[in-house]
Amino acid sequence: MIPETLKTSLQARVASAITAREAAVDVMKELQAHYGWLTDEAVQEAAALLGLSPLQVEELATFYEMIYRRPVGKKVIHVCDSISCWCADCDKIIQYLKDKLGVGLGGTTADGMFTLVPCCCMGMCGDSPAMSVGGVPYGRLTPELVDEILEAERHKP
Amino acid sequence: MDLPLFRHNRPNRVVTFDEYREEGGFEGLKKAFSGMSPNDVQQAVLDSGLRGRGGAGFATGRKWSFVPRDLPGPRWLICNCDEMEPGTYKDRVLLEHNPYSLIEGMTLACYALGVRHAFIFIRKGYEKAAANLARGIEEAKKAGLLGEHILGSEHSIELDLHLSAGRYICGEETALINALEGKRPNPRSKPPFPAVKGLWQGPTVVNNVETLANVPAIVANGAAWFKGLALNPEGAGSKLFCVSGSVKNRACIELPIGTTLGDIIDGACGGMRDGKKFKACIPGGASTQFLKPEHWNLPMDYDTVVKAGSRLGSGGIIVFDEGHCLVEATLNLINFFARESCGWCTPCREGLPYVKEILTRIENGRGEEDDITILREHVKYLNYTFCALAPGAMAPLDGLLRDFEDEVREHIVKKKCPLK
Amino acid sequence: MPKLIIDDIPVEVAPGTSVLEAARSVGITIPHFCYHPALAIAAACRLCAVKLLDGPVKGIQMSCALPAQDGMVVSTTDPEALKMRALVIEWLMLNHPHDCPVCDEGGECLLQDFTIAGGHSRRRYQGKKRTFQNQYLGEGIHHEMNRCIECYRCVRFYRDYAGGTDFGVMGSAGRVYFGRFQEGPLESPFSGNLVDICPTGVFTDKTGRFRARYWDYQFAPSICQHCSVGCNTSPQNFQRETIKIVGRRNDQVNGWFICDRARFDKSYLNDPQRPREPRLDGATCGYDVAVDAAAKSIAEFVRKNGADKLALVGSTRLSLEGMILLAQLAEVAGGAKVCYFDDAGQQQGSLAAAKLLHEENAAYVKDIEQAQWISLHALDLMEEGPMLALAVRKAFLAGAQIFLVAGDMLPAMKVLPFKYTAVETLDQVPFEGGGKGVIICGAGSKDPDLLAEMASSGAKLVMLQPGPNGFAAALLAQQHAAVPLAELVAARQVQGVVCFEADVPEMLLSDLEVLANADWRRGAVEAKAPIFLPTTTWAESDGTAINYEGRAQRFERSRVAGLPLKGLDPKYYGSATEAVSLHPPRVHRKDVPGGAERDAWQVMAQLIERLGGEALEPFSGKWRALRNLDPEGEGVRIFEMGLGE
Repeated sequence: MIPETLKTSLQARVASAITAREAAVDVMKELQAHYGWLTDEAVQEAAALLGLSPLQVEELATFYEMIYRRPVGKKVIHVCDSISCWCADCDKIIQYLKDKLGVGLGGTTADGMFTLVPCCCMGMCGDSPAMSVGGVPYGRLTPELVDEILEAERHKP
Repeated sequence: MDLPLFRHNRPNRVVTFDEYREEGGFEGLKKAFSGMSPNDVQQAVLDSGLRGRGGAGFATGRKWSFVPRDLPGPRWLICNCDEMEPGTYKDRVLLEHNPYSLIEGMTLACYALGVRHAFIFIRKGYEKAAANLARGIEEAKKAGLLGEHILGSEHSIELDLHLSAGRYICGEETALINALEGKRPNPRSKPPFPAVKGLWQGPTVVNNVETLANVPAIVANGAAWFKGLALNPEGAGSKLFCVSGSVKNRACIELPIGTTLGDIIDGACGGMRDGKKFKACIPGGASTQFLKPEHWNLPMDYDTVVKAGSRLGSGGIIVFDEGHCLVEATLNLINFFARESCGWCTPCREGLPYVKEILTRIENGRGEEDDITILREHVKYLNYTFCALAPGAMAPLDGLLRDFEDEVREHIVKKKCPLK
Repeated sequence: MPKLIIDDIPVEVAPGTSVLEAARSVGITIPHFCYHPALAIAAACRLCAVKLLDGPVKGIQMSCALPAQDGMVVSTTDPEALKMRALVIEWLMLNHPHDCPVCDEGGECLLQDFTIAGGHSRRRYQGKKRTFQNQYLGEGIHHEMNRCIECYRCVRFYRDYAGGTDFGVMGSAGRVYFGRFQEGPLESPFSGNLVDICPTGVFTDKTGRFRARYWDYQFAPSICQHCSVGCNTSPQNFQRETIKIVGRRNDQVNGWFICDRARFDKSYLNDPQRPREPRLDGATCGYDVAVDAAAKSIAEFVRKNGADKLALVGSTRLSLEGMILLAQLAEVAGGAKVCYFDDAGQQQGSLAAAKLLHEENAAYVKDIEQAQWISLHALDLMEEGPMLALAVRKAFLAGAQIFLVAGDMLPAMKVLPFKYTAVETLDQVPFEGGGKGVIICGAGSKDPDLLAEMASSGAKLVMLQPGPNGFAAALLAQQHAAVPLAELVAARQVQGVVCFEADVPEMLLSDLEVLANADWRRGAVEAKAPIFLPTTTWAESDGTAINYEGRAQRFERSRVAGLPLKGLDPKYYGSATEAVSLHPPRVHRKDVPGGAERDAWQVMAQLIERLGGEALEPFSGKWRALRNLDPEGEGVRIFEMGLGE
C-alpha cells in the first residue's frame, strides 16, 4: 500500500498528462522509489492509477533498464561496460567491485546494501570508467576511489 | 573564436539565466518575435546548412519543411535527449553547463513550426541536465520568454520534460514517440513519417539537443555567419566533439566543422595518452566505422567522413591505441547493441547475439575460418532490419573486416588474442 | 491499378495491395510468419524478403510492407532474396528447440514448412539456446514459450484485434516474452484463436493435444451450431472423435476467427454417454425396428385421436433439411400439427425478425465493421453472438460510436471489447439520418412492435436468433402457420407429440403422450419416449443452416457416426460368450460401435415412407435453389434467392 500523499501526487501527475499512459514511466519510477523495486503490488497499483491492466504496465516495466522487477539492495550500482569504459579498463573495476562486494553481476550483497549490475553507456565517457550508485554518477574510477565511494554511499541516507 | 554552443560555459558550474542573457542569450528569440515570420526562421535554419547533430546528419531545415502546414489539430516538437550512443556525452555536457540555448532553440523551433507544446525526452542518468532544464524553463517563463504570450505576442509555447527509464532504442525517433506516449518503445514503420503522423498521430519533428541549441545563434547572427564558422567550404557551423579512449585529455569540446581528426586529438585533447600510438578511432559513436592513421588529416564534416568510409555521427570519438584489440572492441560494441535491441525484428534480435557468439569465440581463440564468412553475411543482411539499430551495429564490424581482417585472422590462426 | 511484374508474371492489383498479396494473387507464396491477412502489418519477421530488380524501389525489400507500384519488377527467387530468407530461418532456429516430434503443431507448423522449404539443415551457431518458463493459461491453451519465433501475431490478435488486456509482450531484445502478468486463464473469449494464429507450437489446444497429427484427421467444412452467427469451422476428427475444432475463413461471416465456445465446447460430441442405440420400450433394438414402431405408433395415435391431436416438434437446432421434412411428415400423417418452437415468445420474436429483414436492411459482418454508429439493444452480445463483438470492435476502432440501449432489462454484460455509452431508450441514440448505423438485438422473446420500430429507424439490422438455425425455423413456422407447442398445450389442442431434436421442458410434457423421440442428446423427452431414435450431430451429418442475417450455409459430414475409439467399452471387442477372452480376439463385426445414428431428416424420410407417403428431396420446390450450395463458399443470402417470403 502506498501512502495517501504519494497516491494523490501520482493521481495529479496522471491527470496532468495528455493521455494517462504518458505518465506511466513517471508513475513506475515513483513507485519504485517508494518500494525500492517495482513489486507486483506496485505494478497493480500503477495499473489502477493509469487505468491500465497490470499486464499493460508489465509490458512497459520489463522493457526499461532502470525499472527493477526483482528485489534489489538499498542502492543499485550500475557499472558501465560500454566501449569508452572498456578503453579505460572497466573490466578491472567490475572485477574489483565483484570481489569487494562478494557478489556476481546481478547479485545483492548479504547485508542488502548494494546490488551490482552492468549497464550500457552512461554518457560519462569522458570520465571513464564510470558507475552510478543509487543514481549518483561517479567517474574516473580506481579501486581506491571505489572504496571511498562505497564507504560514503553506505552511510548516506 | 565565438562558437555558438559553449561560449556561455563556465568551467565548473551551470551558467545562470542572467549571465546567459547578458551574453546575448535570447537575442535570437527577440529578433524572431519582432519582425521575423515563422517561415523566416525556418528559412534561416535551412540556409544555415545546419544538419542534425544526433547522428544521421539530415538537414534540419529540410526536416522541418516536411511538416504539412495545412493539417488540423496539434503538432509537436520533441527534443531527443536520449543520448545513449556509446562514446557520446556531448548533450550531457552542454546541458550541465547551459540549458538556455536549448530552451531558446526549442522556442524558436516551435515558433517556426507552429507548435504549441514541445517535449524534451531525457534519458535516465541525466538528472542533473533535467534539473537545469526544469529550472531554466521556469526562469524563461517568468521572464516572458516561454509559456503564455511570449514577449507579449499571441504565441504561447509549453515545454515539458519527459524522463525516460533507460533504453538506447528510445533514441530512435519513432520509438521515442511511442515511449513518450507510454507505449512500448518499438520503432514504428515509416511511412508515415513523424513529420506527417507522429506523436498522437499529429505532425511531429524530433531534433537532437545540439541541433536545437544551435538555432538561437543562427537566428541572431544569420545563416551566412553560421555557415562561415566551418573550416571547410561545404560545412556549416561548429560541432561538439566528445572524445574518449586513449587520449591525454578526454573532453567534450566545441570546434568548427571541418577541424581535422589530428587537430582534435593533438590539439584539443593534448595528444595520445602515455605516448601510445594511434591505431584507429570510431568518429561518431558506436555505430560508425573505424578511421585509421591515414585519416589523421581528414576534415571532420559529414560528407568528408562518409567519403572516408565512416560517418561523423554524433561526434563521439573513441580513440584506440596499438594496445587495443579491435576484435574485443567490436565485441564490446556488438554486446551493447545486442542488449539494446528492442526485440521486434528477427535479424536484430537474433543476428546480433549470433555475431556476439562468434566474436567471443574468435577473441577467446576458438574462432574458425568459416566465422569470417558468417560475419560478412551478417554485415550485409543485417541491413534489412526494421530500423537502423542493427545496420548501425554492423558499421564497426564492417570496418573491422574491411580494415583489420588480418587482426581477426591472426586470432583464428593463433587460436588466441595476439594482444593478450 | 498498379501493374507490376513478379517472377516474370505481369500482375495488376488494387492500389494499396502489398507485393506479398500481389504475388499471392498469381499463385506465388512468399514465405512469411508475421504477415496475416487479418492483422496489421508488422514487418517483424523479415522472412518475406524479395528483390526488386527494377522500378521505383530497388534491392531487398519486405514484400508484406511494400505496396505494389507501377513498374516494379520483383524477383522472389533472386539469390540475394533466397539468402536473406535462409538467414532469417537460421536466426529463428538459433533458439527454437527443434522439438517437432513432441510438439502438437508438428505437421501443421508454418515454421516447420518454411524451415524445410528454405533448405536450412546445418547448424552453424555454436551458442546455447535461450529458454523460458511457461505459464498456465487456463484449460484451453498450452503455453510453450521456447518455441516462440517472436512474430508478434499473438499479441496483435489478442490485444489489437480482440481487445484483450491480460495477455501481451514483455521484456526486450532476446528476452521478449509473450504471456500474462501472472499465471492464470486467459480472459478473452477469443483466446483460442492463438492456437490457429501462432505459426508454430507456442500455443496449442490443450483439449486435444497429442492425439493425432494433421494428416490423421478427417475433416470437412462445417458451421458452428452454438449461436445464430453461423461461424465457419473445421472439426478435426480422429477415430470417430472430434479432437479439435479450428476456425475456417469466411469473410462474409466470421473472417478468420471463431470464439472459444465454438472451439472448445465440443465434449458433447464425443460423450460416451450420448444415446446411440435405438430403443423400444427401454430395450435396445435395431434401427429399422424402432422406425417401424414409431410409424406404427403415429398411425395408431392418428386413428385413435385424429391427426390434429398430434404435434411433430422440431427446434432451432434442427437442420433446414429436417425442418422441411418435418412439415412433409405432418402432412403424410394426415395433417398433424407441426411446431418449430416450444416457447411462444421465442417464436413471436424470431418470426418478426425474419419478416422484417430483407436484402437491404439485414446487416452482415462487413456492415457492422463499417458502421458509423452501432446500437446494442438489451442483449448479451458475448452470449448471443460473440464474434459480432469483434466486428463492433473494428467499427469502434475506426471511430464508430457504440451505444448500449438497456431499457429496463440490462443483461449481465460480460466485458465487451469496446467502449460504449449506455442509454435508456433507442430515442436517445443520436441517429444521424443517412449515417451508416446498425442496430443489434436479440430476436427471441422480443416484442414484434419493438422490432418493427427498430426496423423503421433506417438503420441496418442484426436480429440474433434464439438458436443456431432460428432463422430457418421462423421461415418454416411462417410457411406452415406453425403454433408454438406451449400454446397448443395451453389450449389443450394436442395430446401426443413426436419430437425431433427438440429440448421440450418437462413441464410442457406432463399431460402429453410422447410417441417417439429422435435426438442425439438426452433430456426430458428422451426420458419419456417409449421409442428412441438416435440421430447424428452436425459433426456427423450433412446439413444446412440459415444464420441471423438470412445466409444459408451448408455443413458437411466431418466424420462417421459412432463411439470414439478412445475409451471404447470392451464389450465391443471382447467376447460376450467366452468366459476367458481369447487372444487374439475372435469377435468379428462389420458395423461401427455405436454407429447406428441417422440424420434426423433421414429418419423423417423413413417415417414418411412407412406411413405410405413419398419422401421428397428436402430441397424441392421453392427450396430447390439451395440444392447446390457450396460448403466451401461464402453461403447465400436467402433474400437473393427469393426465399425470404
